[in-house]
Amino acid sequence: MGLGLLPSRFSRIPANRLFLRSIVSNSHRQSPEAAAAAVPPPEPTPDLPPRTPVAGARVHFPNPDDAIEVFVDGYPVKIPKGFTVFQACEVAGVDIPRFCYHSRLSIAGNCRMCLVEVEKSPKPVASCAMPALPGMKIKTDTPLAKKAREGVMEFLLMNHPLDCPICDQGGECDLQDQSMAFGSDRGRFTEVKRSVVDKNLGPLVKTVMTRCIQCTRCVRFATEIAGVQDLGMLGRGSGEEIGTYVEKLMTSELSGNVIDICPVGALTSKPFAFKARNWELKGTESIDVTDAVGSNIRIDSRGPEVMRIIPRLNEDINEEWISDKTRFCYDGLKRQRLNDPMIRGSDGRFKAVSWHDALTVVAEIVHEVKPEEIVGIAGRLSDAESMIALKDFLNRMGSNNVWCEGNGPNPNADLRSGYIMNTGISSLEKADVFLLVGTQPRVEAAMVNARIRKTVRASNAKVGYVGPPADFNYDYEHLGTGPQTLLEIVEGRHPFFSTISNAKNPVIIVGAGLFEREDKDAVFSVVEAIAKKGNVVRPDWNGFNVLLHNAAQAAALDLGLVPESNQSIVTAKFVYLMGADDADLDKIPKDAFVVYQGHHGDRGVYRANVILPASAFSEKEGTYENTEGCTQQTLPAVPTVGDARDDWKIIRALSEVAGVRLPYDNFGAIRSRIRTVAPNLSSLDEREPATFGFSVKPESNQKMSSTPFKAAVENFYMTDSITRASKIMAQCSAQLLKK
Amino acid sequence: MAFRLTGLKVSPNSATLEEARARVFDFFKAACRSIPSIMEIYNLHDVVTESQLRSSVASEIRKHAQVSNPKVIDLLLFKGMEELGNITEHAKQRHHIIGQYVVGGQGLVQDLSAKDQGNSDFLKKFYNSNYF
Ligand code: SF4
Ligand code: FES
Repeated sequence: MGLGLLPSRFSRIPANRLFLRSIVSNSHRQSPEAAAAAVPPPEPTPDLPPRTPVAGARVHFPNPDDAIEVFVDGYPVKIPKGFTVFQACEVAGVDIPRFCYHSRLSIAGNCRMCLVEVEKSPKPVASCAMPALPGMKIKTDTPLAKKAREGVMEFLLMNHPLDCPICDQGGECDLQDQSMAFGSDRGRFTEVKRSVVDKNLGPLVKTVMTRCIQCTRCVRFATEIAGVQDLGMLGRGSGEEIGTYVEKLMTSELSGNVIDICPVGALTSKPFAFKARNWELKGTESIDVTDAVGSNIRIDSRGPEVMRIIPRLNEDINEEWISDKTRFCYDGLKRQRLNDPMIRGSDGRFKAVSWHDALTVVAEIVHEVKPEEIVGIAGRLSDAESMIALKDFLNRMGSNNVWCEGNGPNPNADLRSGYIMNTGISSLEKADVFLLVGTQPRVEAAMVNARIRKTVRASNAKVGYVGPPADFNYDYEHLGTGPQTLLEIVEGRHPFFSTISNAKNPVIIVGAGLFEREDKDAVFSVVEAIAKKGNVVRPDWNGFNVLLHNAAQAAALDLGLVPESNQSIVTAKFVYLMGADDADLDKIPKDAFVVYQGHHGDRGVYRANVILPASAFSEKEGTYENTEGCTQQTLPAVPTVGDARDDWKIIRALSEVAGVRLPYDNFGAIRSRIRTVAPNLSSLDEREPATFGFSVKPESNQKMSSTPFKAAVENFYMTDSITRASKIMAQCSAQLLKK
Repeated sequence: MAFRLTGLKVSPNSATLEEARARVFDFFKAACRSIPSIMEIYNLHDVVTESQLRSSVASEIRKHAQVSNPKVIDLLLFKGMEELGNITEHAKQRHHIIGQYVVGGQGLVQDLSAKDQGNSDFLKKFYNSNYF
């Protein structure tokens, strides 16, 4: 962030100016007043090399006529009207120091770190709050600007404790970096520093409020992005503090992001407190799997241990935020892990055995049962590679009863548009009406919810919701609780229908919780009828979306993991649970032989006869498709635990022991197998929209029941085996869930 | 403490390949001679025979059969002597000897049954570790 970019900025200085930057003490330095007064002679012709905008930022001109030209350090840049001086400097490739400015938050202009000199202005101006005017001559490198920064730093450090050695922000602290780069080399402060009482913001965010520099980024984040009015500024002057007004925890599913945006160590991660220094950590760019959004994350690890998870920028998916579940579930990766293959003995206890013995036992049993009695269930965290391996293995054994949990008894895998978000997460911003059917995006996909909230805030989009009473952090209209309301809408009896049909870009989002309903086809055809009548799907706009819950779901449907008969689990004699803990385990007959392959000793293990330990998402390379159809990849950050193996390797090995050897021996080979089944899964980091709409779908003649929709996610913090094993998530659900 | 095994000392550099070669044989003989006492010290009688240990020493030496630089041979010899000294000194423990020279590099899991001989490369590596 901010000052992370500084080194690159310095490296851009041409060699001939380097000499002038060498550390010397001259009269300017010894008397800053003289430096400020000495106006450098104006450069006659700027022979500066063309600059690249900070962080590769691109400028979008909504209206080419509105472009204005300003000069930054003598270098002319074209910017659209309405840009601030700060943004103009960024376009010109000059990184202005800042504390309070954040590109995704409103402008506060209260830290004054971004002061620059503007020709003909009597005082330095706070560039983040000053609109750029045509022909403005901005100077960012003059003695006046430098002196202003130095002064601001001095004031900020006046009340900032000298905590760096015991501060968790140390090493990635904007204040530390900027005081090194722009601060004075001595202080004049001799008084007593003020101190502020720490606030309790809950189990996730640790506060050391004395370190706060009152930039109000956290307050703006909470009110603008997270949509909770929990944080605020109290008092004035030196009595100013950040707090929660009353003794209250911060209850937002995005609260962890204030840790990232706080430029100092006032808000840090509680679980990470005093665990590691950031320069000891190895970062691995990976993907989150705790929901279907596929937020981009960086897994920071030290040795074999995941120390923390932080977001990675991806404008199309999670911008630069992640949900608390994503950020703090990592301690679940260290608990309840399965590390040895195990077989349940006759006394009901598990005994650790070698891989050789475990696979031999499984292979023997799988040959003893009839092919129709073999069932395979992929778990919600499975990657595409292991799912295709499981499907191929079961197919070779003669069974076609393989599915992914969460997709319901008879999923529609034929029409891709029927199970992905056709609009795409980032295009939700163009919508002006939302109809949420049986989905509570706040708990099902917090990042999608943040996008909807952003849209509602920016364009006053209307939100209609059909489903059980739920928590929203934006204005919405509760239309009803069950399918009845949908019928009213489709028949035009409901006023919301005219809202949809009058909208420019209406969006319908159907929750994947509906997949479990008996009358799923009927409900979907009603929703599709609404979409048709309301003109939701047009050649230039596809507003029909399904919001999935699990990381594995979309890829499973793409790969065709569809059970042959939806009653197969009741008659199964051999059940292969590949990380499946939320399937109907009690429906499995008593005499069935259950193999559990997975990384956590979760629900599936209680019923298992054989355990095959597998690696978690932080330990393997795996392909995941998110709910909008974007294929992404996890990368191994830490080694596997104990004797665990990657999922697809286990199935490949088992297939050989069982005598039906699968033809892929390495990752590349299994990838090309996936390419033949679902080509879209091989184009990484690309969103593949569905080709056909539902207009080609045959009519369903199912009867719709009037049972109201159910909430799909009971506990936001605990949805899968990793989060259920996490202590932090347990604390969150105990303290933060509204009971 | 001085080594009990006399005759084990760092010798001057070998001038030629022949000299180095002769030294290797001397070393091998010295090692073979100390095997009975090693069996005694580490109580190895029920896990291994003398001839098995001899062939394990031989295979350690053969690992470097392709080395033809006398300097490198001298270095390897030096390492070997040190190891032999440590072993005869009882500077090691029983599991070291078993792990390194009795079980060897294959690890504890060995697919010895006839059925497993036809295993693919993948499966053999799979039994060994997750990383290949
Ligand atoms: S706590 Fe951090 S983010 Fe919030 S105002 Fe203080 S310094 Fe800024
Ligand atoms: S960044 Fe401009 S005033 Fe804080």
